[in-house]
Amino acid sequence: MITNLSVASRKAYRPLTTVALVVATETVGAVFLRQFLLAEDWRLVVTLLAIFAAALVAFERRPHLEGAIASGFRTHRRFATLLGVVLVALFPFALEKNTYALHLCVVSQLYAVLALALNFQLGSANIPNFATGASYGIGAYVSALLALNFDVSFWIALPAAAIVATAFGFLLGIPSMRTRDSYLALVTIAFGVVINQLLNTLDFTGGPNGLVGIPAPEIFGHSFASPLVVLGYELPPQANFYYLSAMLVLVAILFADRLHNSRVGLAWNALRADELAARCQGINTTWYKVLAFAVDAFLAGFAGTIYAFYVGFISPENFTFLVSVTIMTMVIAGGMDNILGVLVGAVLLTLLPEKLRAFSDYRILFFGVTVIGFLLIRPQGIFPKRLRRYEV
Amino acid sequence: MTELIVQQVLNWLTLGSIYALIAVGFSLLFGVLNIIHFSHGDVSLVSPFIALALTQSLAAAVGAPASLGYFVFAALLAIILTGLLGVVLDILVIQRFRNAPAMMALVATVALGIVLREVIRNGFPNGSNPHPFPRIASGSLDVGGFMIPTFDLAAMLAAVLAVAALFFLLGNTRLGLHIKAVSQDRDAARLMAISPSRIFRMTFFIASAVGAVGGLFFSSYAGMARFDFSIEVGLIGFSAAVVGGLGSMPGAIIGSLLIAGLDTLVQAVVANGASYRLVFVFLLVIAVLVFRPSGLLGRTAIEKV
Amino acid sequence: MALPILEGERLTMRFGGLVAMAEVSFELARGEILGIIGPNGAGKSTLFNIISGLYVPSSGEVRLEGQRLNGVPAHTIVKRGVARTFQSSRLFGDLSVLDNVIIGRHTHTHCGVFDAIFRHSRAKEELKQAAVHSERLLRTVSRNLFEQRHRPAAELPQADRRRLEIARALASEPKVLMLDEPSSGMDDADTDALMDDIRAVCAERPDLSLMIVEHDMRLVAALPHRVMVLDYGQKLADGPFEEVRRIPRVQEAYLGRRGAASHAEG
Repeated sequence: MITNLSVASRKAYRPLTTVALVVATETVGAVFLRQFLLAEDWRLVVTLLAIFAAALVAFERRPHLEGAIASGFRTHRRFATLLGVVLVALFPFALEKNTYALHLCVVSQLYAVLALALNFQLGSANIPNFATGASYGIGAYVSALLALNFDVSFWIALPAAAIVATAFGFLLGIPSMRTRDSYLALVTIAFGVVINQLLNTLDFTGGPNGLVGIPAPEIFGHSFASPLVVLGYELPPQANFYYLSAMLVLVAILFADRLHNSRVGLAWNALRADELAARCQGINTTWYKVLAFAVDAFLAGFAGTIYAFYVGFISPENFTFLVSVTIMTMVIAGGMDNILGVLVGAVLLTLLPEKLRAFSDYRILFFGVTVIGFLLIRPQGIFPKRLRRYEV
Repeated sequence: MTELIVQQVLNWLTLGSIYALIAVGFSLLFGVLNIIHFSHGDVSLVSPFIALALTQSLAAAVGAPASLGYFVFAALLAIILTGLLGVVLDILVIQRFRNAPAMMALVATVALGIVLREVIRNGFPNGSNPHPFPRIASGSLDVGGFMIPTFDLAAMLAAVLAVAALFFLLGNTRLGLHIKAVSQDRDAARLMAISPSRIFRMTFFIASAVGAVGGLFFSSYAGMARFDFSIEVGLIGFSAAVVGGLGSMPGAIIGSLLIAGLDTLVQAVVANGASYRLVFVFLLVIAVLVFRPSGLLGRTAIEKV
Repeated sequence: MALPILEGERLTMRFGGLVAMAEVSFELARGEILGIIGPNGAGKSTLFNIISGLYVPSSGEVRLEGQRLNGVPAHTIVKRGVARTFQSSRLFGDLSVLDNVIIGRHTHTHCGVFDAIFRHSRAKEELKQAAVHSERLLRTVSRNLFEQRHRPAAELPQADRRRLEIARALASEPKVLMLDEPSSGMDDADTDALMDDIRAVCAERPDLSLMIVEHDMRLVAALPHRVMVLDYGQKLADGPFEEVRRIPRVQEAYLGRRGAASHAEG
């Protein structure tokens, strides 16, 4: 009798503690991010980084803690998602109307989408793709050209540009049929260079000066260029784009999660592990490779459009090989084939160079060294990929 | 009119020779030893900067103004130092990815190339700006009634010598045999008292040194040294090796000539060609890879199942 | 004699100057177990590679239920009903044991990108069914393997790796299953256990035809109905093991001419 009771009471505690864990993790994360964004002094930035690193090390040492948090999120999936959405929605209000911080949020979100896009190829299928920057650029330029030359509204330009970018993704996937690894990497680099040169040279793309004067989107008469007023509280105009890109991030996460936990995701993983064996299980590896390119380009195209309309002017300089490498760094350092890892990698690697302005000259060097460092020491990234679980 | 054509042909052959000097290193590393080394172009293009730095310091050490003599000496030294740089990079970074999945080695060496470029940009005084680079050879020679610049002849000679020497090395020398042994079966080679590490180091040295010659010629050709030359030159060098067929020394020259030919042709014939040249070049590369995935002279590698 | 389910007609495979296979013909009946033996380099794996579509034969024809397989892409051949394992188990090491088998169900599932994203519940249900099927399959192949179904495949010991490969191949519900040296690297006890498992699999699927490349003569003597001998890419003999092993040419292939002679004397 007594044993049963103690078991019952232990079980009653469990849901409360796991919910508490979820709430704690999400809140701590949000607060940390806020402080990081608002930090001015680089020493504060470094301290925060050190705390983050210490937390990671602590998780390494106590895997059961990490396991508890992970299972907590799994059990209370709906609640965790809801809480997350609420926190994201309320976040701009906690930023003290700091336009720079909001700007960084928008850029981080766009890079998060780009990193999630690349993760399909790099993380899930192990296909080297150095052309994500080009797909990003195609999305930006197509939507900008539609708006500037044909007065197309942002809301129509958005899907249109994404479709064009996807078409290019398919095109890029064609050589992937017969080429492997190094050759494919070369093809994607070459593709990126070609697109960049074309953008630089063609007249209608504005050449090296690019396109300017892209109009801000409008919705129900509210222009994205004007401040966002919610219940009397005025948020800077960047907030409009914050919410727009936040929604895109949500969509990207949805795509990523659903594709990962599907027949498609499994096929990509099989491709990654052993392409020959994958073919011998009935997987049409060519199709899945092309698919990875297309999905990557689709999301990148979306991100490109938002970027173009957010900043209002674009040039080929924004979409170079280096951008592709940056995105790749985010996926590798964050965690290949791990959605949370990729998100963290994107946010971290967008914010760090901005926060450590003093070292801006060494930004690119830093990225290069980071990639090599991670590949040497921790190739699985900060958050390594996890095995799937099935509720059977 | 013939003057113009001769001019273009010389351009083509010179540029092709310069590309070949870089391509041959890619072919040797990638094709023969299966080493993924995307940063070979970047290593090769360090040599002009080393040469410039050495010229200054040598002249300063002696207390005389920097002249061509110092430069030649510095260039020779730069070739050796770049060769050594290749070896050092192998020891520090590249060898750790020898047994890792190809993707990791690929991304790591791309990043390595970026690091090299940035180190030059930040480390070399005024690194972001172009630095004037002297002509290795000046004047022209009368060949069959045509005045051919000595520079062009020097470049072509260098390329031919390099390719011939490597071809001979691989086919007819003991070192070449060892290289091929290591490329086929590292463990078996070990059992035959061949040290794979030693072979890798030697190959890195040779490839980087030959590439350094290409780098020097390229900067000479362009009249300047820029830290970001290696992006384009490295890409083109790799493409040339791939088009010709990785692992084939003659293929490297053929690929280089093809690409240089297209490059020169586009610049001469197409309006505003100079801005479009890379588009044509890379479309060619993509086309070759789609129809002949192993390159023109390459052999299809058959995976043992 | 019923129509053979799989047949090869004068299959030849040339790699440049090297002839890996020369005019090999064979037939496989429904429900039959065919053993393929021969010295190293005899072309046994080449035969498998041709049938599974990894190689296109230089000449000759492969037919499954009368349909020509030459040039058909490997993934389509799986769909048509031919599955195989590999000499060096090619598992998807960083995926779980269960995931490996679920991937084997690829040809029996259909959801693509649109389904995964927009008809999520349908895709999820299909995957769940595949998981259920795979778990059941794992349980029948090996209880031990089933217990380990959430471990990464790379962590499995050798004998379990082989079994997992077989389970994965069975997941596609093949008509013909080709096992490439399944007992390689196993001792006698493991081999006996493997033989029992294969027998159990065949007992459950009387229509399944098996081709087994093997070096272990105990397995070859006990399991297959018939044995085919290859050497230097040519077929030397074809028949029950007891008959085939007495053929002088076969003995020569394994023991050399003198060895065969002394073996015959002794």
